[in-house]
Amino acid sequence: MRRQLLLVAGAALLALAGLGVVATLRPAPAPGIDQVAAQVAAELRCPDCQGLSVAESRTAAATAIRAEIAELLADGASAEAVRQHFVDRYGAWILLDPPNPWAAWIPALVIALGLLIAGWWVLARRPRSSPAPRPAGAADAAVRRELEELDA
Amino acid sequence: MNRLRWLLVPVVVVPVAWLLFTGLGRDPRDIPSPLVGRPLPVLAGTTLTGEQFSTVDLVGTPMLINAWASWCIPACVIEHPVLMDAARRHAGELALVGLMYQDTVSGARAFLARYGDGGWPHLLDPDGRMAVELGITGPPETFFVDAAGIVRAKNIGPLTEADLDRLLPLIGVAR
Amino acid sequence: MIPSLGHAAVVVALATCLYAVGAFVLAGRRRDPVVLDSARRAMLVTLLLVGLACIAMVVSLVTHDFSVRYVVRNNATTTPLFYSVIGLWAALEGSILFWALLAGGWATAVLFRYRDRHPALMPWVGAVLALGLAFFLAVMVWPGDPFVRVTPVSPEGLGPNALLQNHPFMGLHPPLLYLGYTGMAVPFAFGMAALITGRTDAEWLGLVRRWTIVPWIFLSLGIVAGGWWSYEVLGWGGYWAWDPVENAALLPWLTATAFLHSSMVAERRGSLRAWTHLLVIATFVLTLLGTFLTRSGVILSVHAFSLSAIGAWFGSAVLLALAGSTVLLVWRLPALADRRPLGGVVSRESAFLFNNVLFIGITFAVLFGTLFPLLVDAFSGAKVSVGAPWFDRVAGPMLIALLFLMGVGPALPWGGASWRTVVERFGLPVLVGVLAVVLAMAVGHRELAVLAVIGLATFVVVVAVDEVLRGAAARARSRAEAVPVAAWRVATRNRRRYGGYLVHAGVCVMAVAIAVSASGASEATVVLATGETTTLGAYRLTNRALVQEPLADDARVLETRVDLTLAGGGTLRPALRDYPNSTSPIATPAVRAGIGEDLYVTLLAYDPASGSVTLRIFVNPLVSWIWVGGGLLGMGAVFAAWPDRRLERVVAAAGGAAGTAA
Repeated sequence: MRRQLLLVAGAALLALAGLGVVATLRPAPAPGIDQVAAQVAAELRCPDCQGLSVAESRTAAATAIRAEIAELLADGASAEAVRQHFVDRYGAWILLDPPNPWAAWIPALVIALGLLIAGWWVLARRPRSSPAPRPAGAADAAVRRELEELDA
Repeated sequence: MNRLRWLLVPVVVVPVAWLLFTGLGRDPRDIPSPLVGRPLPVLAGTTLTGEQFSTVDLVGTPMLINAWASWCIPACVIEHPVLMDAARRHAGELALVGLMYQDTVSGARAFLARYGDGGWPHLLDPDGRMAVELGITGPPETFFVDAAGIVRAKNIGPLTEADLDRLLPLIGVAR
Repeated sequence: MIPSLGHAAVVVALATCLYAVGAFVLAGRRRDPVVLDSARRAMLVTLLLVGLACIAMVVSLVTHDFSVRYVVRNNATTTPLFYSVIGLWAALEGSILFWALLAGGWATAVLFRYRDRHPALMPWVGAVLALGLAFFLAVMVWPGDPFVRVTPVSPEGLGPNALLQNHPFMGLHPPLLYLGYTGMAVPFAFGMAALITGRTDAEWLGLVRRWTIVPWIFLSLGIVAGGWWSYEVLGWGGYWAWDPVENAALLPWLTATAFLHSSMVAERRGSLRAWTHLLVIATFVLTLLGTFLTRSGVILSVHAFSLSAIGAWFGSAVLLALAGSTVLLVWRLPALADRRPLGGVVSRESAFLFNNVLFIGITFAVLFGTLFPLLVDAFSGAKVSVGAPWFDRVAGPMLIALLFLMGVGPALPWGGASWRTVVERFGLPVLVGVLAVVLAMAVGHRELAVLAVIGLATFVVVVAVDEVLRGAAARARSRAEAVPVAAWRVATRNRRRYGGYLVHAGVCVMAVAIAVSASGASEATVVLATGETTTLGAYRLTNRALVQEPLADDARVLETRVDLTLAGGGTLRPALRDYPNSTSPIATPAVRAGIGEDLYVTLLAYDPASGSVTLRIFVNPLVSWIWVGGGLLGMGAVFAAWPDRRLERVVAAAGGAAGTAA
């Protein structure tokens, strides 16, 4: 019981320490349109870098695209329309999240399949009887054996 | 079941082989342009010589829009004589327009002084918006536009005589 | 003269290596110790020759011998000594030479370590390792000779790639990674030897345990070092971009980690043996595949060295390795059936099984995302990109699920657990995890992924702490020791388990740091005239001066630096460096790392006339904890791998089933 309390206190202390660290953060409260602009910029590929997004890159092309995103959004375009605007100029290549349905479905299906097979394997191969209770060791040798048995 | 397991070998190896060796034949930089088949966006602004210019003025003549930069070495240096030759050969029936890509006025002038100035206008693009309109990923890129103002082809990389032979007919210029 | 010596050394090394392959095969078939001895010595000679070739290359670089094409392309008279030396692995051909050295080192080490033992397995282990090394030597003899000459001799070199001479981490990141990659050939060779000889019980796994963890440590630290280097050098404020080459390094790490876990099940319980073989094969093949992806130019990326003929060689190597190992595995498949039932639904085995499924799932997702542009191009000619948004969305949930298993797995017993045990074990940690989530929300976090990571990471750490205290208390009770002493004693007698806890704790620290830094960063782009001040978060920066001067240790590089003073003390000096062999200047960010957050400033542009600068300023929370977490991970793994003679003797004396000395 005392050990449990010690643990709870320890965990609370850990949580408070974490809170203290996190409290030094200042996530800037971004107004709506800036957030959308940042989101769209993070989804567009910087045309003259290798693999970075428009949000991360500071090349001239990326800066021009960010300016254009801001203008389009200010004119009332939706995020989807802004993305399409750039696809109409650069091609689907400019999107960092490919629009192909295969890109979305194949990994999801394969992984779901894998999990199902693993689940079936576990259910089909489980031992028939319930597992024996672990010996509560007090003696030295028994404790040692238990520790070794649990050794990962 | 026992003999069947050998099927696993080709099932595993063949797709990997196909993937590896088709991969080697592809050029990841050769990106097709969605502008092909659509009207060229209007490009208007100041040229390298200080005049006002717009592509609207050239409607009725087939055009080559060539995006280049003085720092684009050796690609732009290689294609420059090809462009000069095309301008001379097809004078009157083909208009060339240069588009400066992330370049400086002094750099561009030095390039033309060194490699030859063919006399066609070069549009400045100080904030990069024209490059975005055309979907340019890096110099040199050349758009082939017909007399009606429709983009018929986009060439990525330095322009060669073979490219001109292949693409100029698409905009109605005979070689 | 020296380069010719180097080239000759490589050629002779190929010959001795091929001899070793033949001798090992002969020794394996005939069980002849004399031939085996000869083969082993041939490997040693090969290693020494490759070492000689490396020395020749380093000497050529340090003396700026521009008759060698590799030196011309990667070195200049003004290159500082440190960067000349590490020029050995700065580019394609040199890095293959370095790789061969490390591969030869691992092979020789394992062959001489087991010199008088395991006579059935070792010849085949040697044959596989020698064959792998022979491949790299052959690449150097034919398409990728690092000692190719240039005539006429060039008076000056191009210098190293600007990005690669900007930061001393270039001396750390590639060697760590290469040590990891080349080291993974050892467990692979043992796996192959086990299949060839038909010794498909878990003997090879016990032998290979330490030879797996050590390369795994290098690979893990190498990947973390790469992220750190990326952060300090590239100037975009991030540390991981899901770039194809980053992914190529991650893939074998994922399967190697899965292998580490499933081999525990295979060794202890005799289950998942075929699966374990598959994982070690996948690790080796993915290492080769990664090298193929980066060397062949097939997918452009930050690291892509060039399009080259070497790509075709590596592609073929991938196929041969895959085909050969698949044939062997399929051949022995009937003998690899599970020895006993897998264990209950809620048991350590099933936790490990799901852990493996998730690791393979992530591996598949990353591989798929990296290759998808290639596939689409091959099928339809269309060009698409797959970047961070896709990877985050697909791999993210699986990584978070892995966090959960990391807490649950080590605390469940083998065989199965009753629900009562589950509640007893996990009740408190779940409660604490929930508390952590509540606190996180109170502080302002709203993103589901971040909250899940925080909650689960807390859960894992509390489970681990609980386990440690439980074990310590049991021992303290029975031995009348103080709890801390008991804890240390228990830990040192169960190094794998407790080392594993520390590794998991390190992963939790990294996970929280990554989640928070990705979601809570703030940034601003400002233009500052001389004397002007700007504020972001708790920081006030003032532009004091714009300085332009050549670098102290490399006069060809012009550095344009802005001196920024920070209110409260300190100076930051972000710079742009103009390298002669680079068309655009290289950003050198200034990073002030702190416990809670990093202040990160990049110089984007400057006006020499007025002294005004354009800066990009980031405040990145918790980034330092990523590197700390990586350090904990390394320490935990070292602790786990540390030899413990006492336990080995006891286990052996107790007549344990799998008590083979490693």
